[in-house]
Amino acid sequence: MRALVGAAVFGGALLVTLGLTAPHLARASPALLVSTLAGCVAVAALAAQPWLTRRRVPAHVRLGGVVAVLVAVHVLALVVESPDDALYSMSPDGPTRARMALFATVLLAVVTLLGLLRRRLRWSAPTWRFVHGSLAGLVVVLGVGHAVLIQGALDGWGTPVLLALGGLGVVGVVVRLVMVLRTGDAMPHDRGRVRPAGERPG
Amino acid sequence: MVAVALLVAVIAAALWRSDESGTGARNVGVEAAAPAAGPAAPQAPLAVPGVPGATCPPTVTNPGGRNNYRENAPLDVPLGRGLVITGVVRDTGCRPLPGVPVQVWLQTALGSERENRTTVLTGPDGRYRVASDPAVAQFGEPNVHVAHDPEDGPWASVWQRHVVDPDATLAVVDLTLVPAS
Repeated sequence: MRALVGAAVFGGALLVTLGLTAPHLARASPALLVSTLAGCVAVAALAAQPWLTRRRVPAHVRLGGVVAVLVAVHVLALVVESPDDALYSMSPDGPTRARMALFATVLLAVVTLLGLLRRRLRWSAPTWRFVHGSLAGLVVVLGVGHAVLIQGALDGWGTPVLLALGGLGVVGVVVRLVMVLRTGDAMPHDRGRVRPAGERPG
Repeated sequence: MVAVALLVAVIAAALWRSDESGTGARNVGVEAAAPAAGPAAPQAPLAVPGVPGATCPPTVTNPGGRNNYRENAPLDVPLGRGLVITGVVRDTGCRPLPGVPVQVWLQTALGSERENRTTVLTGPDGRYRVASDPAVAQFGEPNVHVAHDPEDGPWASVWQRHVVDPDATLAVVDLTLVPAS
């Protein structure tokens, strides 16, 4: 588990290095630079997130907040860079890659809200985990897919690194969802909301 | 689980129905050797020049066409070399329109869309031509903007945004104008 999180951190460092050395950003404005780097770190954090859900829940929660902030910075910096292009990209007439980013951003907001409202929702732990996890999986697919389709700073070696990080995140989500569907995936902090597999109702 | 599957289907359908480069934008680039400077512009034949009764569909402003537009671009300023943006301006009778102002703007390695712009006039054959440095990706894809933008001319304004490949040397954007009402 620790090795997989380490791989995500390494991938994020690679993306940041590739972005900083890319000719595309050589004369870029500070806003575009900030936006690109925030996106790079967010992708790496998303790849690590599912691998933290089993034994590092506090870290998962904190990193989830960091991802939400990074994506907000990414979008706001693009609006500062070019309001016309940013609003066009977020409109129904925007390119496919921008539509993917828009869906990913909205779903990320929903996933974050689900995390914040977990106690109030009073869903069973497996139900909450399935909804939260499957929507988070969509965020990874759409977010990384959008980054792969973008031409610019992460062309060339950036594409396989992005795909590897996306694959790491998706595999993590699938592994976790399978555990939830098979066993209910009881954890110590569930406080009796999930019966461990094999335990009879008393 | 059904709700999540439904959501995935809705997102997939929305992506499937979207235009890859944005609504109404098409790849107008050509990766052919084109002269980067000088008066010898590539001369594409007009579709149906001078044919009585011929009609050309009017060009419609596409979404994103006005992105980063600014009025009063400097007249006939060279924007570099490596990419030629050209096209023919016609009326709906397919007749070429000489002396019509056309503004072109695009992002290159040296300038943003807000800085890298010029207005040129069409020649006797209705053709305009702008030499520029190659377009670089702006919000994920290299794109060029072409507009007929005077507010008080005889022809209605129109704005276009299209995309090119990074190694394109020629971009062709024709305009068919309708009289200003």
